[in-house]
Amino acid sequence: MPFSNSISRAWNQFFFTGFSGESLGLLRMYIGCGLLFFHTYQFATVLSLNPVGSMYYFIEPIWYFHLLGIQYHIPALSFAVYALLMSATVTMMTGKWTRASILVVILCIFYLKGVRDSFSGDVHHRYIIPMQMLLLFLLSKCGEVHSLDAAHGTFPPVQEWEASWPIKTMQLYVALFYFWSVIAKVRVGGWEWFSGEGRIQEVLIARSVRWGMTGEGELVKNSLSFELAQHPNLIQIFSHFVLAFELGFPLVLFIKSPIFRLLFIGGVTTFHISTFILMDVNFLLIPFVYLIFFDLVPIHQWLKTHAWPLFRRRPSIAG
Amino acid sequence: MNKRTITLILVAYLTILWAAVIFRIDYFPLTWVPMYSVYEPSETISVKVWDKDQYRKGLKVTHRDGSTSYVSYKDLNIPQPNFRRLYYSRIFGTAPPQHKQGNTELGALNRWVRGLEKDEPRFAVDWEWRMFWTLNKTLRHEPSDSKFIIRMEADHQNRVYRKEDLLRQDVRQVQIHTRQALIEWQDEWLPRWEHAIL
Repeated sequence: MPFSNSISRAWNQFFFTGFSGESLGLLRMYIGCGLLFFHTYQFATVLSLNPVGSMYYFIEPIWYFHLLGIQYHIPALSFAVYALLMSATVTMMTGKWTRASILVVILCIFYLKGVRDSFSGDVHHRYIIPMQMLLLFLLSKCGEVHSLDAAHGTFPPVQEWEASWPIKTMQLYVALFYFWSVIAKVRVGGWEWFSGEGRIQEVLIARSVRWGMTGEGELVKNSLSFELAQHPNLIQIFSHFVLAFELGFPLVLFIKSPIFRLLFIGGVTTFHISTFILMDVNFLLIPFVYLIFFDLVPIHQWLKTHAWPLFRRRPSIAG
Repeated sequence: MNKRTITLILVAYLTILWAAVIFRIDYFPLTWVPMYSVYEPSETISVKVWDKDQYRKGLKVTHRDGSTSYVSYKDLNIPQPNFRRLYYSRIFGTAPPQHKQGNTELGALNRWVRGLEKDEPRFAVDWEWRMFWTLNKTLRHEPSDSKFIIRMEADHQNRVYRKEDLLRQDVRQVQIHTRQALIEWQDEWLPRWEHAIL
C-alpha cells in the first residue's frame, strides 16, 4: 500500500504539476509558429512538382495509404492540402477554432507525409515528435488561453494539473524518442554500431564520396566528413557521447534548473547540427520542439518588454 | 475530463507506445528506428557515387515496339531525391532502410507474433514487378500498348575502401566497381496488373 501510494504521489507530482494554463497557451502559439517553417521545409520537395503533371503510382505506399487504398498521387491536391495545412497551423497558433484546426493540421500532415514517403518507400521520422505533440494539444485545453477563442468566449480558468499533463507527456515522449533510438540501434546493429570503425564511419564516408571527385582528385562535397572518417578514435569518442546523451536524455525530466536544462538542450541541438553537416541526417529544424522543456511565460514576458518594442519602433522624422 | 480519466488515457498511451517498441511496430506515428541503425561489420566500406547528369537523364527503358527512351523524375513528376532512390536502389532490388531494419534480428517473440518461420523475412517485396507497375501506370502504358515498357536499365559506380587503408589514412587505395541493373518484364505478372500492388 505505501508503495502504491508513493507511485501515485510520484505520478501526480510528475504529470499534474509544474505549468500554468498560460504556459500551455503560449506553447501552442510558439510551437505553431515553429511548425510553419517546419512544414515548408519538410514538404518543399512535394511543392517542387508540376501541379498538373503526371499522377505518379506509388512504388511502396505508406501503411495507412495501403489500408485506405490510396495508390497514386494527385499533384494539385498536394498543393491544396499544403495551403490548408498552413492556414490551419495559423488558426491553431492564434487559437481560432483551436481543436478543429489541430485536427486539420494532423490530417494534412498524414496526407503529405504519406505522399512524400510513398514515392520511393523510404519512411522518414521527422514528424513523429510534432505529431505526438499535436495529438496531446488536441486532447488538452490549449485553446482556452492566449487565443482568439478565449477572447470571444468565457472559459473557466485552466487548472495547473490540466495544463501540466500535456506538456509533461510531450517531454516524456521526446526523452523516450532518443532513448528508443539506442534500443533500436543495439537491437539491429549491436554494440558494434558504436565502435569507431562501425556504422558512423561508414555513413561519414558514404556522405562524403557520394557526390564523386573533382578532376584533381578532391571531393566535390563534405571533405570534413571524409577527414573525420579517417580517425576512428575520434569517432569512438563522439559515438560514446551520443550513446551517453541518448541513454541519459530522460534525466532532463529531473533537471530543475533552467540553466542546466538549457545547457543540455544546447548540447542536443549541437548534436543535430553536427549530424546534419557531417552526415546529412536531416533533423536540423527539430530543436524547435525543445520549447516544451521550458516555461514560456517569463520568456514571452521578456520578449514583450524587450524584443517586440524594437519591431514596433516608429521611424523618426529625420529617418 | 477529470484527473482519473486523464490518468487512464496516459496509461493507455504509454502502454501502446511501449508495446510498439517491444513488438517492433515501427510505424508512423508510434515509434521509430533510426535510418542507419542496421550495421553489418565488414572489412570494406562500399559506397555509391551519385552521377547527377546520369540520374537526371533517367532510367533507360525499352518499349514493346523495340524503341528506347529515358524516363526521368520530370516524366514521373516526383522529387529528385525520390527518383534517386529508384535509380540507385529499387531497380537493383534494394529495399528502403525500414525493410532492412524490420528483417534484422527480429527475435523469437516477434517472429512468433507474426507467424514467421526461422529465416522468413518480415518484409519481402518484388521490386522488379513494382518498378514496371509504377513506371507503366504513371506513364499510362497498358501491357498491350506498343509503348509499354518491357526493359529498364541503370548503372552506377561504387567506391570500395578497405578499413585497414583508412586506418592508415591512405585514401588512394580505392577500387571502383560498376554495378549494372537490367530488369525485364515477365508475362507471368499480367494477372497482377489489374490488382495493383495493394
